[in-house]
Amino acid sequence: MTRALRLVRRRLLTAIPVLLIVIVGAFGLLELSPGDAVDAYLASSGGGDAQMIAELRQAWGLDQSATARLLAYLAALAHGDLGWSVSLDRPIRDVVMERLPNTLLLMGAATALSFGLGSALGIVAGARPGSFRDRFLSIGSLALYAVPGFWLGLVLVIVLSISLRWLPLAGIETIASGKHGLARALDVAQHLALPVASLGMIYLALYLRLMRAGMAEVWRQDFIRAAAARGLPRRRIVLAHVARNALLPPITMLGLQSASMLGGSVVIESVFAIPGLGRLASEAVAARDTPLLLGIVLVSAVVVILANLLVDIAYALLDPRVGSNEPAS
Amino acid sequence: MTMFRHFLRTPEGRAGGLILALIALAALAAPVLFPGDPLAIAAQPMLHPFQNAAVPLGTDRLGRDVLAELAHGTRTSLLVGLAAAGAAVLVGAAVGTAAGFAGGIVDEALMRLTEAFQTVPAFLLALAFVSVIGPSLATVIVAIALSAWTQPARIARAEVLSIRERDYVAAARAIGMHPAEIALREVLPNALPPVLTLASVIVANAILIEAALSFLGLGDPNRVTWGGMIAEGRVVLRAAPWLSVIPGIALVLTVLGVYLAGEGAVEAMARRRGAP
Amino acid sequence: MPDFTFSRRSLLKTTAALLASTALPSAVFAAEAKAGGRLVVAADSEPKNLNPAIVASNGVFFISSKVVEPLAEASYEGENGLAPRLATSWEGSADGLSVTFKLREGVTWHDGKPFTSADVAFSALNVWKPLQNLGRVVFKDLEAVETPDDHTAVFKFSKPTPFQLIRNALPPLTSVVPKHVFENGKIEENPANTALVGTGPYKFAEHKSGEYYRLEKNPSYWAKDRPYLDEIIYRVLPDRASAAGALEAEEIHLAAFSAVPLADLDRISKEPGIVVISKGYEALTYQLVVEINHRRKELADLRVRQAIAHAIDKDFVVKTVFLGYAAASTGPVPKNDKQFYTADVEQYPFDKAKAEALLDEAGYRKGSDGKRFSLKLLPAPYFNETKQFGDYLRQALAAVGIDAELVNNDAAAHMKAVYTDHAFDIAVGPPVYRGDPQISTTILVQGGIPDGVPFSNQGGYDSKKLDDIIAKASEEIDEAKRTELYKEFQKEVAAELPLINVAEWGFITVARDSVKNVSNNPRWAVSNWADTWVDA
Repeated sequence: MTRALRLVRRRLLTAIPVLLIVIVGAFGLLELSPGDAVDAYLASSGGGDAQMIAELRQAWGLDQSATARLLAYLAALAHGDLGWSVSLDRPIRDVVMERLPNTLLLMGAATALSFGLGSALGIVAGARPGSFRDRFLSIGSLALYAVPGFWLGLVLVIVLSISLRWLPLAGIETIASGKHGLARALDVAQHLALPVASLGMIYLALYLRLMRAGMAEVWRQDFIRAAAARGLPRRRIVLAHVARNALLPPITMLGLQSASMLGGSVVIESVFAIPGLGRLASEAVAARDTPLLLGIVLVSAVVVILANLLVDIAYALLDPRVGSNEPAS
Repeated sequence: MTMFRHFLRTPEGRAGGLILALIALAALAAPVLFPGDPLAIAAQPMLHPFQNAAVPLGTDRLGRDVLAELAHGTRTSLLVGLAAAGAAVLVGAAVGTAAGFAGGIVDEALMRLTEAFQTVPAFLLALAFVSVIGPSLATVIVAIALSAWTQPARIARAEVLSIRERDYVAAARAIGMHPAEIALREVLPNALPPVLTLASVIVANAILIEAALSFLGLGDPNRVTWGGMIAEGRVVLRAAPWLSVIPGIALVLTVLGVYLAGEGAVEAMARRRGAP
Repeated sequence: MPDFTFSRRSLLKTTAALLASTALPSAVFAAEAKAGGRLVVAADSEPKNLNPAIVASNGVFFISSKVVEPLAEASYEGENGLAPRLATSWEGSADGLSVTFKLREGVTWHDGKPFTSADVAFSALNVWKPLQNLGRVVFKDLEAVETPDDHTAVFKFSKPTPFQLIRNALPPLTSVVPKHVFENGKIEENPANTALVGTGPYKFAEHKSGEYYRLEKNPSYWAKDRPYLDEIIYRVLPDRASAAGALEAEEIHLAAFSAVPLADLDRISKEPGIVVISKGYEALTYQLVVEINHRRKELADLRVRQAIAHAIDKDFVVKTVFLGYAAASTGPVPKNDKQFYTADVEQYPFDKAKAEALLDEAGYRKGSDGKRFSLKLLPAPYFNETKQFGDYLRQALAAVGIDAELVNNDAAAHMKAVYTDHAFDIAVGPPVYRGDPQISTTILVQGGIPDGVPFSNQGGYDSKKLDDIIAKASEEIDEAKRTELYKEFQKEVAAELPLINVAEWGFITVARDSVKNVSNNPRWAVSNWADTWVDA
């Protein structure tokens, strides 16, 4: 366990400069943008005169220099304060924390789907490398990987929600339904079925192929040949030896994919009207809400870092070789 | 050329090569077959496909020729895919080589930078960049490359680390070659092949990200893009499904072609290495 | 605004039968109206500030008009096109210096306090005049509001102010907010700007960001037995294409403001249980306008502007971009405003040859590449139709040898490029005509407007003649003379083309046929829906 703790500490320490780069980069990008929050507000509210506009800029702190605003932002951040959203007129921490669970739920379920189904199919494909089953699954999953997520979502909505009316069309749960407990969980599950499928099916190919490639590698190794020579049943060899040893690359991929999943959820959340972090990000961009977008970028970076950390720990626990040669710091 | 023969011997390579050849042909032939602006109004709006010989795939809401748009869209998709991947590989290889070669504080700083870019979801970064700078072909390409260079950088760095202590590099250092020169002449060429195998994935991803950006209305309005066609057709998805289905198929085929070709290349490389 | 006859009816592609079925007069259903139930409607935005007294815009009104009421609402039948709400009568003095409102008695705020003339005085002087985007123009000379008793409010102006203007401004500009809620602290920061308190038929219940707004029945509403509905849910569907699906899947009952794209109307009108309604937006006319930057030397030449006007096929635009749900414009006042509109202005029929001749005459001959000069074209991003017209305009200009490069921006960047930085040559804008040219139309062509004022003349056009007409009309208290001045204004704009009016349109409502009393006034989507009910 001390090894895992060391790993955690080292990871968290390197995360600080990374986050700092992310913040400064995002801030700089938004400084480049034409139009500010006041312009966005006026576009939505139908206009105003010059004096009113100057007053708004002052009230929202937009008349100060960029450096002053960046420093103020960093100072507040040190106190755990993400700032104030000018477009929603609420504390950013509240908004982000309200939306984050929806995105995590979507991401988590989609990851579970793509990882679970992907590696299971990968085992099926990799059990007999080169067989028809193997080729079919590999090419089929590749074709799925080539489909844009938004497109898959649109088609699923038309077939399953509008034509067949099996599943709800959009949103995270039935509006103001007053449901609680299990009934509410079921309701949310129904609403998330299509978005999770649209997001998860696409990444399925990744895990399938990694699993399959890993298994092909393991098949060639001596201990498998030995196991086969000992007359162990093939099913047992596949599951207990080959698949288990091939599981490490897909697990590493979990961490790497967390950023892609988060990016993919931006489009999926807008197609399915899910009030998550991704949709909040596109709203923030449209409203020129710099502090809000910064907060979202920061929080997603933290999510990605934590996801990778979890994967590292899992990896360290699964594979005793990892980290043993690291110098004690 | 043996490499190419190996490539064509894999089923993935054959299929991918065929698809890509067709698409490249369409891209090259587009300005000859459909001269003039593909966004020009050609006929009555919303004609169904296969009904009018002049516009075989029908027309869109403004009466533009879908086939001409599709052919010209091929150029945009390929251009974005190749340019973004090219830029990402170049920048990534340069950063990775520099980091791996320089070591120490430079390495540390460059790797933190790489990590920072990897931590921000690629699509979020591209979305923010394009909406901030304004949609044009160049900004879309830069936006995609901006998040795609990190993986080539990591691979290049790993390669450099593994070869920089080898004899010929040590020898070059011994005869007093400038580190930058060593990096450029000895290390980079050796580190390039594994980076290039990544290229197909980057090209495919770039095409998909471009489509998603256009779909959200952030494509270059002066050019036809498949994502833009889908986004426009989507409004009438149920009344005129062909307007979004046709470019959607083109998109899937192209990306699939790129993936398959990439698979074929990897396999061909493995076979060549494995060949006696 | 008297007589808002529905002039677009003849243009509609929808069949007469469909119109008849959807536009049945409310009286037919009134007898059997059922109380109770929930109405779910699509909303595409979540305004930051929901207070209609401060932000007079349709996005805000769509939700807030059910909670906060104006002094009067637009009406098909009422005198001068108005129906009483919080005011029961209004009268202007002969000198144009005062307007007297009699207020409704027995009205209470949602928190139980009585509604009085003090609330009207407070709203007018402390909110509409200093804070409201449109009120700052219309009420600029409002000096005081006298309150001789609890149910009389007398507006006093320092300069003669046309009563016609005040009357026309009543529905959009006079939402009354409670004095006792807003009098302490900064009005802009009051929590009641989002958690509204009003006198309307529905009370504000909750807002779940990114999901929905919920309004619930106000049991002590001043109109007896109203409203019918128990609650209204505004379901946030930011994605334009999802409203149609949601209607078909019966997840929502109604989508207003053309949330269902025009191109999908033909198909959806054939779905059982769904009706397409084009009535109910007559007082919310949007105009499709080509804004021109007169700082460009080519565009400063009247002949070039005339050529552009001749290069645009307005009928094609109406038929293709708007699929018939619009009318071609002749000038800055829309045809459906019978009060001010005149057709007697310079017309620019679609004529490519004439456009080319005018450009040649102006000295801009075609180069060897077939191009005369290049322009930057910025279509406003707010509507599908403005973007699509941008695509069309680029082609139309190319056809006469003008090379236009499209620049797509999001709302904030467009705002800044056009209205602050003037970084455009031509732009496509959708200004709203609000029943009187003085409210938000003359500002589109008037000279001397400071930089950065959105939806105003930022093209650098400055004509003494036009400015004189505008100034005179804004102080003319004789209605006939004022109307005459605005006719002159239309002629001058059409002749000089500070901007080019292309088309004007209202929106479309698509609803389940179980929703009754839809579109029964000219601002229906932004009115109070007290008589709307659902036949469950």
